[in-house]
Amino acid sequence: MFGKFLKELWHYIDVTICNIKMALMMIIEYPANLAGWMISNPIQFILGFATIKFVVEQFGEINGWNYGQLAFLYGLSVISHALSMIFFVQGWFMGWFVIEGDFDRYLTRPLGVMYQFFFTNINIFGITDLIPGICVFIYGCVKSGFEWSILKAIAIIVMLIGATLIRGGIYIMLGTTSFFTKSPMDFGQYTQEIVDKTTMYPISMYPESMQFVLTYLIPIGWVSFYPVSGLLGIGDSSYFGTSAAFMTLLVGLIVMLVAGAFFRLGLKGYESAGN
Amino acid sequence: MKLKGLSKYLYVYKTQIIRCFTYKFEVYGNILMQSIIMITSAFFWRALYRTGNPVAGVDVEGMLTYIIISAMMSVLLITNVERRIENSVQKGTIAMDMMKPLNIFGIYLVEDLGSITALVFQNLLPIFLVGSLLVKVPTICSTEHIPLFAISMLMSFFINWLIAALFGMWSFTAVNVDALIQVKKHLIRLLSGSIIPMWFFPDWFRNILEALPFVYIYQLPLDIYIGKSSGDELAGMMMIQFVWLIILLIAFAYVARRATKKVLVQGG
Repeated sequence: MFGKFLKELWHYIDVTICNIKMALMMIIEYPANLAGWMISNPIQFILGFATIKFVVEQFGEINGWNYGQLAFLYGLSVISHALSMIFFVQGWFMGWFVIEGDFDRYLTRPLGVMYQFFFTNINIFGITDLIPGICVFIYGCVKSGFEWSILKAIAIIVMLIGATLIRGGIYIMLGTTSFFTKSPMDFGQYTQEIVDKTTMYPISMYPESMQFVLTYLIPIGWVSFYPVSGLLGIGDSSYFGTSAAFMTLLVGLIVMLVAGAFFRLGLKGYESAGN
Repeated sequence: MKLKGLSKYLYVYKTQIIRCFTYKFEVYGNILMQSIIMITSAFFWRALYRTGNPVAGVDVEGMLTYIIISAMMSVLLITNVERRIENSVQKGTIAMDMMKPLNIFGIYLVEDLGSITALVFQNLLPIFLVGSLLVKVPTICSTEHIPLFAISMLMSFFINWLIAALFGMWSFTAVNVDALIQVKKHLIRLLSGSIIPMWFFPDWFRNILEALPFVYIYQLPLDIYIGKSSGDELAGMMMIQFVWLIILLIAFAYVARRATKKVLVQGG
């Protein structure tokens, strides 16, 4: 039983390595495109970060968060964004797969459909998001005088995994709506804009009703705000301390489970495009 | 003869409008998402302006008008020309487009105009209603500014379209320009004042931005609308906007002629 499981796992890892190799080859197919991504993603985050700096200079602290702490928050938010871009960006384009009948291919293969959907087109370009994120994060650590310990390092890694799962789960859920509506709605840009404003700034600045929604209904608050305020000890939620990071992982797993169930439900109603 | 050509363009325009009304769900999804974004930014700016003092010469009411008008403008400034060119080059259908008895860029412009016409009903008016009901009614600062806003908006539309077309034409040589389109998108998103007005930027940065064409897409019409600039300063800004329009037009004409000469058709 266990041996069979291991064998299957190994098979999945093998396929993943193959997919990553193919993805790398596809990247170098269009060099101008590669150069474009290398410029465009860092630009986005450098400018986004500069904007925070200018806003803080004009308005002063935001709800008790100073510039260094905001940089810390922003950095972690960008890192989890990058990770979700690498593994789950396909969710944005699920609608096209539905209306063009591309799920046919995945359904006939002996691997999980969801696995194939996300890993056949793994988005290595996401690394270009990761690098500026790490830079801003290191800068934020220095500016906010963050004191490292082993527990905190583990908490940050756990929180990043959880945050990536939350983001990924949300993309999957939005993408899955295409199974029901039969339209190629691309929510990517909008989600990005909403998530930017709610993960890169403290959500405590918003009215209570919105905070409630962001904590319990669409748990974006857990992507960065709660764990980071726990880590830095800011505001009311600081009593969570480092444990907030583990809550993030829990929330992430729940969101992923719900998203997976929803995806299965959608896939049941999938009818091909008549290829 | 001239009129005949025009009626062909009108036909393309009409077809595009009909095409845009196909997907109903998409329309509701767009309205919902854009409303959420607008309300979130309203909360965002209200929170920043908690003290009630104007910052950089603009108060919270001005700022709220700014974001609603900016959201409405973004509907008028949607372009598809860059993707359209890229797709046509990649799939080889550019050959078919070029065989049509019309200028290909004329077709692309008219298609974009058709989409925008549909979007005025599908997006712009709903955004206006939601914004007026839930945030505030975005009134213009004075009636004198209406024609100025209209002129500036028209120039901003063409500046935006020409930049998009120039990026799109890159695909004649690079074939895959997804990333370049992203570069353009981020530059416009962050440097044009569409999300964060450039009053909040330090002087040195603002001076650089004023030399670039991006601020003339969103910031200048918005400044006129909320009455942030007027008189000589405004006239100067509009002059620069006009100069940028001419520069881009010349660049466009030059690149368009060179690019279409060496079309690479991939077995279309």
